[in-house]
Amino acid sequence: MTMTANAPARRAPRIKSRAVRRFMQHKLAMLGLVMIVTLALACFVGPYLLAFDELFIDLRARFAPPFTGGHIFGTDPLGRDIAARLFHAGQVSMTVGFAAMIMSTCIGSVVGVLSGYYGGAVSAVLMRIVDAFLSFPSVFLLLALAAFIQPGPAMITVIIAATSWMEVARIVQAEVKTLRDQDFVQAARMLGLSGRWIMFRELLPNAIGPIIVAATLTVARAILLEAYISFLGYGIQPPLPSWGNMLNGAQQYLQSAPWLAIVPGLAITIAVAGFNFVGDGLRDALDSRSEAR
Amino acid sequence: MLRYLSGRLGQSLILLFIVSLIGFFVLSLAPGGPLSQFALSPGMTQEQMDRVAEQMGLNRPIIVQYFDWLTSMLAGDWGTSYRDQQPVLTIIADHLFATMLLMGTATAIAVTVGTTVGIWSAVRRGSVFDYTTTVLAMVALSIPTFWFGLIAIYIFSLELGWLPAGNMYTVGDGSIGDYAVHLILPALVLALVDVAVWSRYMRTATLNVINQDFVRTARAKGLPNRRILFKHIVGNALVPMITLAGLQLPVVLGGALVTETVFTWPGMGRLFLDSLGYSDYPVVMGLLMASAMLVLIGNLAADLIVAVVDPRVRLS
Amino acid sequence: MTKDLPGKGFTRRGALQLFGAAGLMSATALSGTRALAANADPKGQIVLSFSQEPTVFNPLMPHIEVDEGVYYAIFDTLIDFDENGEFFPLLAAEVPTVENGGISEDGLTWKVTLKDGVTWHDGTPFTAEDVKFSLELPMNPDFISFRSTGYELMRNITVLSPTEITWEMTAPFAPMGAILASTFIIPKHAFDGVEDPNTAPFNNAPIGTGAFKWKERMAGDHIELVANPDYHGDGPYIETLIIKYIPDLNVMYTQFKSGDVDVIGLQYISPDHLEEAQTLDGKTVQVMGRATFESIGFNNMRPVFQDPAVRQALYLAVDKTSIIDALYYGVPTPTETYMPQQSFYYNPDLPKHEFNIEKANALLDEAGWVMGGDGVREKDGVRLEFTNSTTAGNHLREQAQQFIQQTFAEIGAKMEIKNLPPAVMWGDYWMNSEFDSVVVGLSTLSGADPDSSDYWMSTKIPAKGGSGQNTMAYANPKVDELLTEAANLFVPEDRKPLYMEQQKIMREDLPFLPLFQYAVVAGWKEGVEGPTQNVNNRIGTWNVRSWKWTS
Repeated sequence: MTMTANAPARRAPRIKSRAVRRFMQHKLAMLGLVMIVTLALACFVGPYLLAFDELFIDLRARFAPPFTGGHIFGTDPLGRDIAARLFHAGQVSMTVGFAAMIMSTCIGSVVGVLSGYYGGAVSAVLMRIVDAFLSFPSVFLLLALAAFIQPGPAMITVIIAATSWMEVARIVQAEVKTLRDQDFVQAARMLGLSGRWIMFRELLPNAIGPIIVAATLTVARAILLEAYISFLGYGIQPPLPSWGNMLNGAQQYLQSAPWLAIVPGLAITIAVAGFNFVGDGLRDALDSRSEAR
Repeated sequence: MLRYLSGRLGQSLILLFIVSLIGFFVLSLAPGGPLSQFALSPGMTQEQMDRVAEQMGLNRPIIVQYFDWLTSMLAGDWGTSYRDQQPVLTIIADHLFATMLLMGTATAIAVTVGTTVGIWSAVRRGSVFDYTTTVLAMVALSIPTFWFGLIAIYIFSLELGWLPAGNMYTVGDGSIGDYAVHLILPALVLALVDVAVWSRYMRTATLNVINQDFVRTARAKGLPNRRILFKHIVGNALVPMITLAGLQLPVVLGGALVTETVFTWPGMGRLFLDSLGYSDYPVVMGLLMASAMLVLIGNLAADLIVAVVDPRVRLS
Repeated sequence: MTKDLPGKGFTRRGALQLFGAAGLMSATALSGTRALAANADPKGQIVLSFSQEPTVFNPLMPHIEVDEGVYYAIFDTLIDFDENGEFFPLLAAEVPTVENGGISEDGLTWKVTLKDGVTWHDGTPFTAEDVKFSLELPMNPDFISFRSTGYELMRNITVLSPTEITWEMTAPFAPMGAILASTFIIPKHAFDGVEDPNTAPFNNAPIGTGAFKWKERMAGDHIELVANPDYHGDGPYIETLIIKYIPDLNVMYTQFKSGDVDVIGLQYISPDHLEEAQTLDGKTVQVMGRATFESIGFNNMRPVFQDPAVRQALYLAVDKTSIIDALYYGVPTPTETYMPQQSFYYNPDLPKHEFNIEKANALLDEAGWVMGGDGVREKDGVRLEFTNSTTAGNHLREQAQQFIQQTFAEIGAKMEIKNLPPAVMWGDYWMNSEFDSVVVGLSTLSGADPDSSDYWMSTKIPAKGGSGQNTMAYANPKVDELLTEAANLFVPEDRKPLYMEQQKIMREDLPFLPLFQYAVVAGWKEGVEGPTQNVNNRIGTWNVRSWKWTS
């Protein structure tokens, strides 16, 4: 953003500080931030504080209810500590969510900026593809992909990204289209800068606000999608835990060991809500139009 | 109008073509295949598998299979299922009602509750009610639908025993009351996300209208608040919601798929999962196409309705 | 498949007793006690549930286990296996044997006499033409058929009279009786004038000779069948049979508890509910054995599995008792072989498995497998490391897998779990032996016939161009020899020692680690009479024609 010598970029610091201030005042967003940070800390530091290893099987301690035998969240059908598994699962699920977000944001940004900058036929073709992807439920497409791949965290990330880049593409396209004819772009053109330079150094940085908002919400979505396909048995495979596959076996024990279903579900909800809250706050903070609301 | 329609139709056809390409590309990546379901059956030797693969045309190049599929699709033949050799269209039609019933009920609930909540929080902007519903809506959007379904089953079916844990009706009963009892849980679970979306959008739409000139004029004329609310604000705010209903269709359809799997609902979502399990590509393709068509038709219908309802909108 | 079997083992004495003395005698006894008139007064309705949806209604097309659940209600076979593995006649007037002239002395000519006066559900008389049609259709090149084994050996199928049919075999084939026992007879007239047998209207509105008639199907939900008042055999005793599809085992169990489901069928009650189910009022719950056996199957072509010490050590490191008792709630039975324990050919004297980590470690030390710094053993550059795969989403199996992974680690064997979606798992990955090891439930017999050469003969390895199902790529010349010889013998007593010997060799070789023989927790409402264990049929409705309400 600071690389360019155009007017909006010079204004950037001021916008930035105002946005940060507005974000800090957004109570829900701050709550979301606290939720995410707490959960992330628990997942990445928590395992070191627990007495149990997430893979250690102890059949004598199966189905221990929460707060018994030192298991704060109880144990699973193999007698493994649910807390330890939950935190490891969190590392996996959140990593998948983040990685999928980065990939889909990249794909979406490239498609959006190409389409917005060139317009015409390029835009028509690209946006029809976006429309096509949007015209069936992404869950259908995701499952169709997941049913046929060799499941592993990397592949799951790729297919989640492959089915959730369209939103970003649309946003970037719309944003770039409006920026395209502004003075600083015209100036760059007259300076003889290449199309690639203009697109990625001039246009994209100026669309960063909406992209950040969309990206935050994409993390939430990606976590939900991972949970769902893993719940159905097509996602992350055990023994590697993920929040979704922890729920996978839980339905069977719903009556006898309900904590198996409740604990990971709550973790997902907290994580997703956290990102949604932050995303909402960012939208309000970065989008001056939203002040009208 | 006619020109507009034919234009939209042409666009939709191009979209469907792209959808079919995406679908076929995805399925062509698939290792294994529809015969794998028989691999553990006695008598299914490699020789027999090869023979059946040959008969079903599974060993042709994917490109040939695609054009074969495309030409018969254009002639109205959606292919036959690999699992049971039935026409795909018949199979989908058999499962359509259940999904429509579930989606319809959930949408009805969502629209009623969502618009009411949305209008109310817009009118009382900044109130405790507004703030609470805002937060609740965000939370609702964050709960995994399938998990919410599980918890609902745990509480209302297993613990309290009030409602059935699954299925669409009791065999041998099938009265309207019986359907209704089975519908409550899945419809509410599916409606949850929708209510959240609807109330958020309705709130925004209402706020936009409230700030418009004609409302101010009406207020200035001293019309009673209630009348302004219902006659001017709600009427105008609802128009963009029709478009939203169209755009929400894929989301609701996706949600229905998820809900059906938890509540053993005999609809298209269940069929989709079963067909995936059997690698029944023709049915999977058919469902992808059917859902895309449903979405496109829904969007078109929404746009047309808006044009009829709102004289300001011109189709072009 | 018998193409490779030389005819030398075929003896005159064997031919004389084709189908076995025991089978023959009880078969006649059974047919004697069976009333040959339909029950005049069927009463009530039974709701039977399956966790998969039956959708293939032409029994000669490729189908899965659950589809057969419907076939037994609608169709009849010529003969079938009872719970003791012995034949009884259904559409045949009697079980064909050499003694009654049904089979020639050389075993190459067959003649079956059919019951008289049987009609199809639409009133058309059932004749030998229908049998001929049903035996020929699987080999029709335009028909997508479920099997060619057995049928490919039949020649000159000739109708002698409306109740007599005969054919010749190109080679003697001991399991032919089992093939007949799983060939449901379908009506020829339903295919008259039908261009493509694969899309015949019959396939979705089946017409049979069975105890129940097709009424309607609500896709994704249930199938309704009604009593056939003109049934030629004993039964039916119930007016309506509803086959309900409930994809979730918990929902299925909940509905069984609440009484919405009268008989709980395929996939049955999950083992973790056994204890509770046994205490339910007004329900009968019974653990029933199945022919399927669960094992850790090796890809015997992989270098890591070449050393017998490795396979033995791994077997020692499987805590079978804990798996069965804790994870499976004691429902299945431990086993040492692929042969069901109810079978006449089962070898009960195989060495018993023991769980002994120290012994396993000692064995590997002795064999020269040296423990590496990362806790994984190694010998001659081969690390004791392999993947293990099974169907993703099979919870109990996944639990067992992870448990086994832990005990394997204790002997320096690293097992990496790599589970796959069903379509991938049982596709080329399985058929072409692309796996290192699997956890799989297999049923290698056809009916009660012990022949399983398709699975264990070295000529049946698909990955080596063989046309069989020996995907574990097991190869032992002695086993080849025994299986070939046994498939050419026809007297059970003569075949038995060969199969006993073969099981013993396989127990020593351990091409797979046998875990247990499956058992299911079946349940039905008190007052229902009929559901009976039968390891010789793939599904519990094998005798649905005689199910009834006693109260």
